[in-house]
Amino acid sequence: MENNDVKVRVEHLTKYFGDLHVLDDVSFDIKKGEFLCVVGPTGCGKTTFLNLLTRIYMPTKGDLYIDGQPADPKKHSISVVFQEPSSMPWLTVEKNLRFGLEIKKIPKDEMDRRVENIIKLLGLEEFRHNYPHQLSVSTAQRIIIGRAFAMQPDLLLMDEPYGQMDIKLRFYLEDEVIRLWKETGTTVVFITHNIEEAVYLAQRVLILTNKPAKIKEEVMIDLPRPRDVTSPEFIAIRNHITEQIKWW
Amino acid sequence: MKKNNEMLSAAEIREKRLGVLYKILPVISVLLLVALWLAASSSGTGFPSPIQVWDRTVQLFVKPVKKLSLIGHVGVSLRRIGLALLFDWTFGIAFGVLIGWFPRAKAFFGPLFNAFRAIPPLAWIPLITLWFGIGEFPKVLIVIFGSLASIVVNVQAGMSNVEKMYLDVGTVFNATPRQRLLKIAFPSALDAIFAGVRTSTSAAWMVVLAAEMLGANAGVGFLISRGMDSLDMPLVLTGMVAIGVVGAILAIVTQFAERMICPWTRRKKSY
Repeated sequence: MENNDVKVRVEHLTKYFGDLHVLDDVSFDIKKGEFLCVVGPTGCGKTTFLNLLTRIYMPTKGDLYIDGQPADPKKHSISVVFQEPSSMPWLTVEKNLRFGLEIKKIPKDEMDRRVENIIKLLGLEEFRHNYPHQLSVSTAQRIIIGRAFAMQPDLLLMDEPYGQMDIKLRFYLEDEVIRLWKETGTTVVFITHNIEEAVYLAQRVLILTNKPAKIKEEVMIDLPRPRDVTSPEFIAIRNHITEQIKWW
Repeated sequence: MKKNNEMLSAAEIREKRLGVLYKILPVISVLLLVALWLAASSSGTGFPSPIQVWDRTVQLFVKPVKKLSLIGHVGVSLRRIGLALLFDWTFGIAFGVLIGWFPRAKAFFGPLFNAFRAIPPLAWIPLITLWFGIGEFPKVLIVIFGSLASIVVNVQAGMSNVEKMYLDVGTVFNATPRQRLLKIAFPSALDAIFAGVRTSTSAAWMVVLAAEMLGANAGVGFLISRGMDSLDMPLVLTGMVAIGVVGAILAIVTQFAERMICPWTRRKKSY
């Protein structure tokens, strides 16, 4: 019975680039609507892992199943928020939000409804007709996040989306992602090297080992939200994960 | 005491002064040129003074050369480059996209195109005259030969250097090859394409004058060769000044068009 709400199943995912063994036999499930964080030491193959999930790379061995079927970009919808700002500089904020929907040929009224909803949720009304270069880095990154959520994807992958931002913006945008996630019920995989961020966001954290990456441990986090980064429980979990990453 | 005597740091004062300086410098350079011109023409070598050139220009309106005033001759030249640029901006852009986006097309056409663009447009004159005589079409063709390469090269560069990030976004959204080309690669190359539009315009303007000097009975280039043949130096200088002014206007117009069509390339200035 438990299997019913598995959205994504990753089985024996392995990747070599020539002789370089990057990912070694990684298997896990993601439940429908779950918020999963993946942490690991720098350069452990987190981004490769993500590119396998998006099908930018194909795995050497193993596979990825969505709703029990091999993941196929034609059938399933996977959205990605890349580390670098990836909004299209030639499109206004609103048109950037529409970009993916237009590619997928979503009907016009449905597209309008979703885009308006995202603009409202992110409070982007005043920037609607601006171009990305006119906005701050954090606002530009919010467009990307909005673009990804507007797709209502089966799986939303986020690759250190807040890597370049300062602490204050980070907290603000982390809360925003949590809000969007709750509103839309999207399944999210969030990759980060920031342990505090992982503990703040995730329902479950996967810890990867150094290259070739394997899953070292799974940590369930059921602290109430909004989470208090100074509470003893929070700090205990954070320290535990830090230890795990330090002592491979 | 002045009320607007606000507190300014040394750097701010410097910046303010520089702002004024940048406005004055172009005026000074033009004045210097005129002064130099006056000095050169007063030495009695037959070099016409600015006043003579001005009089000659005015006279050109009163007593046209070959039934055309200065404006008329400029118009003839502009019509020739207009026709050539129409071809450049349709066929040239299409060809640039073809060899920039499809590696197979580049492998096939690349060597021929590189050889073609190494040949100066004026080298074509004998062949073109042999084939098409000396009418209007051969002149336009020479202009095309002289300006096509610059737009093709720019478009090709823009299309083959599309940022991988944008294409990855397309991959993630499962864009079709057609969508990748029309919705990602082409718009991302628009600023390179516009650079091509600008350089092809100025190249066309240069080549049309050369083509006209070699045998035409209208156009700014013709005015210059007519001036040379009849030892009418003020007419030559009138032509040269007209070339400079029109060239500058063309540059401003294409720059303005770029800002209208690609507002996102106006980085930094929007703050």
